[in-house]
Amino acid sequence: MTAPAMAAPAKATSLIEPDARTRRRNASERRFRLLGLSAVGVGLLALVILLTSVLGNGLSAFRQTWITIPVTLDAAVLDKQGNRNPDEMKKVTTLGYGKLVQQALLDALVEKGISTGDLTPKEVMALLSKEAPADLRDAVLADPSLVGQTIAFPAFATSRIDGYFKGRVTRESAERDANISPAQLDLADRMAEAGLIETRFNMGFLTRPDASELRPEAAGLGVAILGSAYMMIVVLVLSLPIGVAASIYLEELAPKNRWTDLIEINIANLAAVPSIVYGILALALFINILGLPQSAPLVGGLVLTLMTLPTIIIATRASLKAVPPSIRDAALGVGASKMQAIFHHVLPLAMPGILTGTILGLARALGESAPLLLIGMVAFVRDFPGAPPQGFLDPAAALPVQVYSWTQRADPAFVERASGAIIVLLAFLMAMNALAIILRRRFERRW
Amino acid sequence: MNDMRLTERVVTETAKMTARGVQVHYGTNHALKDVDVDILDKTVTAFIGPSGCGKSTFLRCLNRMNDTVASARVTGRIEMDGQDIYDPRVDPVQLRAKVGMVFQKPNPFPKSIYDNVAYGPKIHGLSRNKAELDEIVETSLKKAALWNEVKDRLTAPGTGLSGGQQQRLCIARAVATSPEVLLMDEPCSALDPIATAQVEELIDELRAQFSVVIVTHSMQQAARVSQRTAFFHLGHLVEYGETGHIFTNPSDPRTEAYITGRIG
Amino acid sequence: MSLGLLLLLLIALAALGYVAGRQRALAAVRGDARDLHSLPAYYGQAVALAAAVPGLLVMVVWLITQPLLVERTTLSLILTEDIGPGSSRELVMADIRRIAEGMGVLVATGAANEGEIAALATQPDALKDRLAAVNVALAAPISAPVAQAALVYRQSMETGQGAMAAAVLAVAVAGFLLALWRVTPAFRARNVVERVVQVLLIAASSLAILTTAGIIFSLLLESWHFFQLYPARDFFLSLTWSPKFGGGSDLGLWPLLWGTLYVSVIALLVAVPIGLMAAIYLSEYASPGLRAIAKPAIEVLAGIPSIVYGLFALMTVGPFLRDWFAQPMGLGDSSSSVMTAGVVMGIMLIPYVSSLSDDIINAVPQALRDGSYAIGATQSETIRQVVFPAALPGIVGAILMAASRAIGETMIVVLGAGAAAKLDLNPFEAMTTVTVKIVSQLTGDTEFASPETLVAFALGLTLFVFTLGLNVLALYIVRKYREQYE
Repeated sequence: MTAPAMAAPAKATSLIEPDARTRRRNASERRFRLLGLSAVGVGLLALVILLTSVLGNGLSAFRQTWITIPVTLDAAVLDKQGNRNPDEMKKVTTLGYGKLVQQALLDALVEKGISTGDLTPKEVMALLSKEAPADLRDAVLADPSLVGQTIAFPAFATSRIDGYFKGRVTRESAERDANISPAQLDLADRMAEAGLIETRFNMGFLTRPDASELRPEAAGLGVAILGSAYMMIVVLVLSLPIGVAASIYLEELAPKNRWTDLIEINIANLAAVPSIVYGILALALFINILGLPQSAPLVGGLVLTLMTLPTIIIATRASLKAVPPSIRDAALGVGASKMQAIFHHVLPLAMPGILTGTILGLARALGESAPLLLIGMVAFVRDFPGAPPQGFLDPAAALPVQVYSWTQRADPAFVERASGAIIVLLAFLMAMNALAIILRRRFERRW
Repeated sequence: MNDMRLTERVVTETAKMTARGVQVHYGTNHALKDVDVDILDKTVTAFIGPSGCGKSTFLRCLNRMNDTVASARVTGRIEMDGQDIYDPRVDPVQLRAKVGMVFQKPNPFPKSIYDNVAYGPKIHGLSRNKAELDEIVETSLKKAALWNEVKDRLTAPGTGLSGGQQQRLCIARAVATSPEVLLMDEPCSALDPIATAQVEELIDELRAQFSVVIVTHSMQQAARVSQRTAFFHLGHLVEYGETGHIFTNPSDPRTEAYITGRIG
Repeated sequence: MSLGLLLLLLIALAALGYVAGRQRALAAVRGDARDLHSLPAYYGQAVALAAAVPGLLVMVVWLITQPLLVERTTLSLILTEDIGPGSSRELVMADIRRIAEGMGVLVATGAANEGEIAALATQPDALKDRLAAVNVALAAPISAPVAQAALVYRQSMETGQGAMAAAVLAVAVAGFLLALWRVTPAFRARNVVERVVQVLLIAASSLAILTTAGIIFSLLLESWHFFQLYPARDFFLSLTWSPKFGGGSDLGLWPLLWGTLYVSVIALLVAVPIGLMAAIYLSEYASPGLRAIAKPAIEVLAGIPSIVYGLFALMTVGPFLRDWFAQPMGLGDSSSSVMTAGVVMGIMLIPYVSSLSDDIINAVPQALRDGSYAIGATQSETIRQVVFPAALPGIVGAILMAASRAIGETMIVVLGAGAAAKLDLNPFEAMTTVTVKIVSQLTGDTEFASPETLVAFALGLTLFVFTLGLNVLALYIVRKYREQYE
């Protein structure tokens, strides 16, 4: 060691003892680092709160309260001719079925020995969804042989009873509620004890069409899911080939000139145009000028295609760019034409990236709602669109728009359903993203 | 190792920094193996050797720049004025104020020439007022032989200078914090011959104030500017001694092979 | 002939063309493909393209122009006097379309033949009853000219459809035969096919320009209609927004613009510091483990549709801000407010700011950081005084992009900001934005040709100009920045 020989420089300070200034600087370093960490924390916290809030509010939408009662389908009421011919039986309206259901409900209560207290039969009947007679009618018309039998008919309870069993409705809130009274809740309690009322998973939330303002319990996502699926088909069929074609031209073939510059600038800007502006375009162009029908999945698909194209083009160009030039040179070197080099060699190698980008673009399109509001997708649609191709022109709803229209309704039960619909939407998005990740992991190639 | 003899000779002069048994790993790559070196005060020390021999790695150990590389692991002992610079209590920030560094490629900040030089003094609080800071900037630029070229445009961006001027600006920036050791990692490799000559002349002048350690690819440069030379090969310090001695009478066959151009 | 059938026929013709072209080429050289200029498949493709592409083009052009022409001739049958009060040409045309559609249903279900339809067109009341019987309900009674016009509309559409099918098939068959006739061993099929493909590729990429043109055209056209009905001066200068059904509305832009900017500013105040600091932390400080989790997790926020954020604002953030801030501080008791929308939008923008900033910070060369560390700067000093100034132009670009997104965002403000147009400073007050009003004016029940509806297009134009300006500026800045370090 040479330490004894060293002459300490005049201004030298110990390396080990930090001076005051260094301590200050290090403290500020720690503060800065903490600030950064808390920014990350806030971001993550926001994500967690967002997801728990949606899940917490929406999971209950998948469960529904049913009142199951034995209903005797009296042939004298439902099929006077006795032919079991659905066309003739259609003459009996839901009112007729309503009386039947009401009687069945009262009988069931008597049989189980449940007192209805001071409640009038009408008030007892108000425990059932107004949709119940219609459901029964549909069931009978679908299977006329049921007439004459006594079936166990599960009817939706009204949204208030449903809310009571899910904790949304309390006796206090019922006091102030014109649609339900504490006495009715008491009755519901007694029925639940007797096993007439139960809450279980409701497939109908995914398969039934939307229902009117007063029947949130019967509302489902069927039309919306089908409508969204139709739109995704349109988007996929149009945007994948057009996007790939445009990217091939711009990335592989385009000369550098004014026109291609213009295209590039346009694509960059279109990616950032607010989605609602696309809605205005669709309204003015597709509906007003070209006369395409409102609320149609075809129009929705077209506008979402225009929106998704820039995303797909950008992703496709990135994956084309990732294919090393040596592949093109090799193909050209053995005498392939430029087109052959692209279509036989570059494009297949870029395909996983293109598909990943397309799926992510589709996921974005699936969640988009603003432009669809403007083309009338917010309209109340109860009928399922037909089979393609005619179905593309039938009115339909879309998942995100269904969420919006449910939030606009007065009954708080619709908020629960809107959150439930969000969960469905997020599940679809997660599935699509997972598919994209799997594709990328499975086929990604690094050069 | 045959440098026991050298170490004995060094004792008579002042060692500014001493390295003993330094090993560096980058992940699984053993980049530097058991290096012992004394950096003498007010001396130019040159590190030479073929590419990838570990000379830059060792240089970056001397001011703990390897800390910024996540995978790097340094063992062994490096002391500066008798204090272990890898002591956990040592703040690398304070160390680097004393051990400045100039890089291969000029890297002026995207700021004015003045702010480039004033950056170090400002963060270390070396001046009490603007006048003092102005003086530090001026003397640093003079030490870097750049003052006359830029004194009229101190507010112009540093990135607008020529390559040689940028490198001298970086030297001025490093000098401004009054370091005790100045590390230079191939400072001339990105410069043309005229700029190189200017920087080499500068290095010789800087020796009057502090010790300079320079990594270079060019043996001529090592011979021109340095008093002592260390030859690295494959992560080993092969030979260390007086420059004249290394170049005229190397004791290790690998050193001879390198300086005669057979390896490297 | 239905569209689907026509398309199928075209596809079949193209497939036939492929087989025929290939066969003919091979037959011409007695099966020895080496004597052909191109591979046999190219001859097939050439014939297939010649059959399908011109036919498809004719079809597309026809489909676009026919309704325009037919509607024009139909509307010319309706005199201005025939349009009732509170109605418009558009509404009448919608009725005509609906009646014509109903006539189609009548024929399709066999309830009436063409002759009966023609007779019905002279008896509007009977027509209405018959239509109601096939579930085509009409609100108002049908007037005689409308019934006649509907008949004409239906007949012209039918004729047009038939003519289109004939024209498309004729063009397709002609293309097919012409191409087949040209197939000889010397025919440079590959070059022809590749030229056609190239034209198709160019057409696909030019769609971007068409889209922009379509957007600008539709915005300008309808805005022009609006300014015919409502003075532009009032729109741009009036400080009140109160649309009324009976006319006499005040449609001033400023309250909406104020709400938009207010919400956007709050959103940026949330998103920029958090996004930027998160980006800095994740790119400069975070351990690889934390980065591997936190970076994608924050980016998940960008993948969540805005309707989800809207619902989040409506259900969670709005009531929370009202109960914990607005009411205790006596600033109002509305759960939808500028603050609600702004905070939620800020959360949505965090990943935009952070991932853009991350790219930009990473583009700052390591050499600059090394230079700063070598002088003895701490990491935060290096970031604040070297990295950040170097990255500033890029970060400004990123913030501008986020701002443009905030201004154009719709669902969050529709569900979170409220609908009341006012110029107020209180952030806990419900206010409204340009996008909210576009939605409410275009989804309402007012008739299309009224200023109350058309104002949405002027608002859309304003929005488009704003966001386009911000984007062009941002792209320019970011591009300049990237060039600096390339």
